[in-house]
Amino acid sequence: METHPDVHKLKLHPGESVFGWLMLLFSLFAFYQSYQIAGFSSLSSPGSLPMAASAIMVLAACMVVVGNFSRPPPDEGGLKVFLAQVFPYTVAVFCGLILLFAVMLNSLGFILTAFLFLFSSMWFLQKRGVIPALLLALVSIVLVYIVFRLVFQVVLPEGIVPERDIMAAIGRFFKGSTP
Amino acid sequence: MDALNYFLMTWLDPQLLLLTALGTMAGIYIGAIPGLSVTMAVSILISFTFSWEVNDALALMVGIYMGGVYGGSRTAILLNIPGAPSAIATAMDGYPMAQKGEAGNAIGLSTVMSVIGGFLGIFVLAVGAPFVSEFALTFQPRDYLLLAVMGILLVGSLSGESLAKGVFAGALGVLIGTVGLDPLTAEERFTFGITELWNGISPVAVMIGLFGVSEALNQLHYLNVKAVTQNVTKIIPSWKDVKKYLPLSLQTSGIGVVIGALPGTGGDIAALMAYDHAKRVTKNPEVPFGKGAKEGLVGAETANNAAVGGAYIPMLTLGIPGDAVTAVFIGALFIHGLNPGPLLLVEKPEMFWFTVGNLTLANCFLLIFGLTGIKVFTKIVELPKATLIPLILLLSIVGAYAINNSVADIWWMLGFGVLGYVMKHYGYQVGPVILGVILSRLMDDNWRRAIISDQESIPMLFANLFKSPLSVVLFLAVVFLLLSQTPVWGWLKGLLGRRRNAT
Repeated sequence: METHPDVHKLKLHPGESVFGWLMLLFSLFAFYQSYQIAGFSSLSSPGSLPMAASAIMVLAACMVVVGNFSRPPPDEGGLKVFLAQVFPYTVAVFCGLILLFAVMLNSLGFILTAFLFLFSSMWFLQKRGVIPALLLALVSIVLVYIVFRLVFQVVLPEGIVPERDIMAAIGRFFKGSTP
Repeated sequence: MDALNYFLMTWLDPQLLLLTALGTMAGIYIGAIPGLSVTMAVSILISFTFSWEVNDALALMVGIYMGGVYGGSRTAILLNIPGAPSAIATAMDGYPMAQKGEAGNAIGLSTVMSVIGGFLGIFVLAVGAPFVSEFALTFQPRDYLLLAVMGILLVGSLSGESLAKGVFAGALGVLIGTVGLDPLTAEERFTFGITELWNGISPVAVMIGLFGVSEALNQLHYLNVKAVTQNVTKIIPSWKDVKKYLPLSLQTSGIGVVIGALPGTGGDIAALMAYDHAKRVTKNPEVPFGKGAKEGLVGAETANNAAVGGAYIPMLTLGIPGDAVTAVFIGALFIHGLNPGPLLLVEKPEMFWFTVGNLTLANCFLLIFGLTGIKVFTKIVELPKATLIPLILLLSIVGAYAINNSVADIWWMLGFGVLGYVMKHYGYQVGPVILGVILSRLMDDNWRRAIISDQESIPMLFANLFKSPLSVVLFLAVVFLLLSQTPVWGWLKGLLGRRRNAT
């Protein structure tokens, strides 16, 4: 049941102590904000639970920061090591892609955005050329569309692809072909 | 009689039957594929099944839960990678068995044992929950508060690197849960004048971020890990084996149910403790533990599936989740307008018996799917990460968006995804965060009820607390949990030890 017994001997990860300090700062800010809600006016005020939670966060964050002092420092190399071990460029690229997705979703519509997202991310990860990624993305988007729109009936922004007209046309086609 | 009717609902309705079967099968794969987890799948499914009938949605999710807890064992045995945290103990003896060419045998045995454990857990749920629920009607608000604190502390202290980090994560979750208008006074909390924040941060977006996006980003580190293929032959276990391990399996199932029923502890801890128990009671194993002992496999696999039934007890009767997965489940129940708590069994007995029937059915499907389709399985698990990760992320984005049709939820999801990713790297667990988010409202309401009924006085609160045996037990449990993780405990133990030595 003991937690990691040697936690104090573990080498710090690059950026870990900075993260500890950031969390402490954030907790202090949260505590100040909680105090702003109702101050110490009463124990049952709307601010009481936020204040208690943020006070505990401040305490715990302090313990983490103090604990970090007694641990061996991380591998040398500063930012370079941090980027390699904790935040490699692939992670940054994917965060960027999700950001782009959120920005483009309402104007381009779901199908196009999702297709571009799948295509670019698969192409980027597979490194096997454009055609396989394109095919895979096409197959995936058809499957995803069937699952989302037809099985789960999730409403998604239509954007510039006249999705409803296409579906209606397909529906007419099938109706027309059956006698 | 009514209970039986509700119990058989899933069994007799073809649509519900199909959904449960589908869920169980999907769950096995989700649990098995490293990088996909039940928590992730259920978080995403909450928003997809938002518009469904509640029974349909629950049938699917229950299947996924049951299948997923078991599915982790497959990859633990075949690849030595536990597909889910509850399969960590399974890998210890399952993988050595596979190395010796007994992968089929190990999979078959773990399937049968999972099903036995599952049934025992469901049985305890069906028999025990009505009692717990009746007992829970006498709970005071402070008891709920203490139970919630206990749950967060348990998750925080057992799963992370250190108690401080676990407590931090839990408190952060509680804080996130308070954002928005205060439900009692409509006062703004952390809204910074932005009206969009009045409804708070969508818990589903937080869940998908923490469990979906952060895990997908994490998997980017393991793009080039090659899968090892095992030769899997006969998987139906021999009757002799099943009979031999039945007594042990009942004991370890018992451990699983109890651990699962404790708020805050779930299948992963149950499996480890049951493994430990199996190791202690097996005097002369045929094969040493850690080298492919079937007893180890039996212990771990019965316990983690038994914990499912156990975890449902506090979830349905108290509204307090047993672990991260059940926390997500509570989120799902809220969204469908159900309020898990002591009144659920009184007001909506159909919901309870429906769930029990559903779990039982899922467990039956588990036996069927667990012993078949292994050839297809080995192919699907080898799905390349380069295809898998973009798809998980797309599902996550759509899931976050669909809950309120709002792009803002994608931002939240991304933010929490990155936060969760960094937190995991630095040894903070994300489980307590989600437990905090889900329990925040319950804690807020009950704290204020408790302190108002005690006339806003802390001494009075404690005076009344010590009048109730239940509150005292819960309070001592919380104090013990805190002390046992701090240097004070070691110091106390040392002191006691010295005194004992002196006498």
